[in-house]
Amino acid sequence: MVVGVIMQYLKDRRNRYRIARYQAWEGQLTDYLFKRGYERDGFGQVAWSDRWLFRDFLARYQSTIAGQESELLRELYLSMGIHTSLPGRLQDRDPKIRAQAAKEIAVFRLDEPAEHAPPPVTERPWRWKPGVRMEGYLDQVLPLLDDPVPFVAHTAALTLTRSRSLKYAEPVLAWVMREELYQRERLLRVLEGFGPTLLPWMKENLESPNQNPEPWILYALLAGSHRHRESLPRLLWLLEVPNVDLRASVLKALIILADPAVYPKVRSFASSPAWEIRTQVARALGVLGGPSAVPDLLPLMADPVYEVRRNAAQSLVDLGHSGVSALTWLANDPAADRFARDIARERLEWADERGHM
Amino acid sequence: MVEDDPATAKIIQVRLEMEGLKVLVAGNGMEALDVLQREKVDLISTDLMMPAMNGFRLVQEVRDLPPPKGRIPILLLSSNHSEQDMVRCLAAGADDYMAKPISVQVMVERLWRLFERSHRAG
Repeated sequence: MVVGVIMQYLKDRRNRYRIARYQAWEGQLTDYLFKRGYERDGFGQVAWSDRWLFRDFLARYQSTIAGQESELLRELYLSMGIHTSLPGRLQDRDPKIRAQAAKEIAVFRLDEPAEHAPPPVTERPWRWKPGVRMEGYLDQVLPLLDDPVPFVAHTAALTLTRSRSLKYAEPVLAWVMREELYQRERLLRVLEGFGPTLLPWMKENLESPNQNPEPWILYALLAGSHRHRESLPRLLWLLEVPNVDLRASVLKALIILADPAVYPKVRSFASSPAWEIRTQVARALGVLGGPSAVPDLLPLMADPVYEVRRNAAQSLVDLGHSGVSALTWLANDPAADRFARDIARERLEWADERGHM
Repeated sequence: MVEDDPATAKIIQVRLEMEGLKVLVAGNGMEALDVLQREKVDLISTDLMMPAMNGFRLVQEVRDLPPPKGRIPILLLSSNHSEQDMVRCLAAGADDYMAKPISVQVMVERLWRLFERSHRAG
């Protein structure tokens, strides 16, 4: 019991000390960011023994502050020499410490190539120049893609993509491909960090879609999320590959790119035996064809699969007057297919409740 | 300013006070509605993800208040910057949206523009 009491006392004392330091540093930090950032020792001194505490203090601002203030935070971080502990921390036994170290490398842009460096805010020869390059940190993050703890691997992937260096495209893509199919769409956000330059890289470096279609599914989804019009010819070419998931993903991208010229090509898939493809076609026709798509959407209202019928009906609602007229006629036509009539009524009610009529 | 992270709140508060603004800080949507009852407020900047009441709910609650309080300009800050989130924020009645990490300078400018627009609109 005595040992427990002593431990609790020490813990409380550490906490009180941490709170006192944080309160003092908060005041110093706002002064540094908005008043004294361009002066020598603008932040003031931090005791050597408080460096680990200061590192955690700075970490609180990592995901919030950008722009000129983040540049000053970066300088502060580098001038304290905190980055020298990164190699050790990337291999720490505690996964939280490994992830935090990887995150710091991304946030404080260690390894930032000089050509991406922002111009110096002002000439401060005694300081780190913004954009100073420190080789090798990202390479040390690379092994963390195989980390047994998922959130560490995820943080490592985010760090590598934020660098925008296509040198890391292959390992990050391989990491995404190791995940289950349903997880991959979620990880698109990670790949988006590379920016649209990843798409030409994928075009050059991926295996043929006939041999290995799965990475091309990501290609199609990325082309959609980046609204990358230059990918349109490649997407149409991918539509020829007889793979259901790939075709469905390409159709999703074509819906986002919304180029009416591809309408005839998309319409040819309206009778596909795969319901996943017909489901996307039912959305795409309305987006690409406008009011002239009504005659092509009506047959899909009687599709045996509910999702296809619902998407076709939704497309008609989204078309406005012409689509709603067709739905109303269908809903009141006793000779119409029973399922088509039901879905027409359901969507009309849905639109009415939301004031879309 | 509605922000559940005191560290972030402090930095933004100091910067806004340097602009000559009086800043009232609330830790979540519920506290913000309390402040709105008691004080005259010209602008609201709110985080999206907060305990007790998130930014979406707060925007909806504010928009349900009678004018002039129901028409206070609102800037939403979010760390999850998906397109869907932006659309949801604006559809809920926010006037502007910023994705974290944010430049405090840009945020200040946006708040001034919102303030000017709302005053021109009367």
